Amino acid sequence: MEALVARQLTRVYTGRGKTVRALDSVDLSIEKGRLFAFLGRNGAGKTTFIKVAATLLMPTSGSVTLLGRDVVSEAARVREEIAVVPQEGRPFFHLTPREHIYEYLRVRGFASETARDRTDELVRAMGLTPFADTIAQMLSGGLQQRTLVAMILATEAPFLFLDEPTLGMDPFARRQVWQVVRRTVRRGSTVLLTTHYLDEAEQLSEELAVIEDGRLLYRGTAAALKSTLHREIRLEFGPGLQAKELEPFGRVYAERTHLVLLTSRSNVRPLTELALERGSEVTMGPVTLEEAFLELVGRPIEEEEGSA
Amino acid sequence: MSARQQAYAALRICWFNGILPLWRTPLLVAAVFLTPFSFLFFLFVITAPTNPALLPFGVMGGILFSALFTGNGMLNDCAYLRLERQLQTIFVASPVRPLTYLLGMALSELAFTLPALAMFLGILDLVHPYGPATLGVLLGVVVLTWLMASTLGFLISTFFHQLREIWPIGTLVFSTLSILPPIFYPAGVIPARLQWAAFLVPSTFAGQLADHALGLTFGPALSPSVLNSPWLDLAGLAGATLLFGGLALRLARWRDP
Repeated sequence: MEALVARQLTRVYTGRGKTVRALDSVDLSIEKGRLFAFLGRNGAGKTTFIKVAATLLMPTSGSVTLLGRDVVSEAARVREEIAVVPQEGRPFFHLTPREHIYEYLRVRGFASETARDRTDELVRAMGLTPFADTIAQMLSGGLQQRTLVAMILATEAPFLFLDEPTLGMDPFARRQVWQVVRRTVRRGSTVLLTTHYLDEAEQLSEELAVIEDGRLLYRGTAAALKSTLHREIRLEFGPGLQAKELEPFGRVYAERTHLVLLTSRSNVRPLTELALERGSEVTMGPVTLEEAFLELVGRPIEEEEGSA
Repeated sequence: MSARQQAYAALRICWFNGILPLWRTPLLVAAVFLTPFSFLFFLFVITAPTNPALLPFGVMGGILFSALFTGNGMLNDCAYLRLERQLQTIFVASPVRPLTYLLGMALSELAFTLPALAMFLGILDLVHPYGPATLGVLLGVVVLTWLMASTLGFLISTFFHQLREIWPIGTLVFSTLSILPPIFYPAGVIPARLQWAAFLVPSTFAGQLADHALGLTFGPALSPSVLNSPWLDLAGLAGATLLFGGLALRLARWRDP
């Protein structure tokens, strides 16, 4: 069963003589109980999609139904079923993490016992125990973000929108959040996540979509997206080789002082021998989701120039 | 969520957004108290030696100023939570209704103002003693004024995208509501041919109603004579409260257009 269905969803921003088409006829569906990642550059339309689907913003045209209800005409009913981690949100400066979680649950209508149990559980699971009774003003940015995410995940709402939930968190904290998100999905919630950390999208999501200039470019699994490269190996060469020598073997681009080549498995041996001959160090690994993403949406200009 | 749960949610918002910060930072009370008290101080210095009859008007002005400036607090807090902290978002995308949020935030602002209100009511009793019935009327005026100002503050807060745009708007709107009209001074001192104009500002009704309740008079009766009716003041204040409340619920941008 589908938890979210967007049909021909379009959102146009107008103002000061400018018109920006943030979403352009987007069709997307997300199955119930899935963890779905939305990827795209800054300004690609991810947050606009979340805002429309989460009843925060009106669409210009098209429709979104969430858990069978229209987000425009049945917004109040939809809001009973959702919770949102807003992008770059910040908690109340005078409340502690424990108070944030508990009070938000109480405001949403949870009984005090349930709210207390969930608060204790989330404080523990999100690694907030040492800071649980410190006011947010005294916490680092990463801990404040963890507090905000904990508030939302504690609701275990049937549909959760997480807009860049791990922004500013250290790698340990990110993994703690991943664990709680996975557990929330196991308990029955559907999650729509946006992130710029592609490892996070790969680790967490069962399915993902890539959006660019308001249009959906791709929808499928991370593995399937990587397979669209038709090159499964990533070789990184130190100084000693020229880009034009590597170009016949695959896609080449510069990364600082190194050259990166995306190539097929059969080219590994001859290229490694060539690198050894030139005294150039070489490292090898599988292509990453980031490579596939960059290939799909187009590389930044400076990298294109670097490979020339 | 049921209506009872919504009402409870409003009280919880008041608890964690109004009472807890007040408890943790008592200095916030001083900030709320300072402006109306400054006006009162100047009025006292200017009027007390020559015309002590004006002093109760000034104290009543402090009470209404405090109630009106909950609107400015509402405007700034709602805008801050929406724009700087993205916290309104988490309430919009939840079962919390706009009215619940509005009421919770308005109660928070009232919590900040209550110590100042209590102190001004105490001072008023010293300079112009009043009975329990008058106190009841005064509290009714304060409640209507607070609701009117809060709903107006919330409504305005939803239309802006930058905090820096909001600061001057708040000062302009709420200073116009609380300093220009006859709040700190009797309406009788306004030239007779302009007295009707004062009633274009809804807070005038609050000031007049309070003055009627306290039996405060200064100068000749207002012109035209209908302006002297407390029923007009009550209707004007209640009407303005309903109007701003209705506008806030209908026009405030709970969801961006």
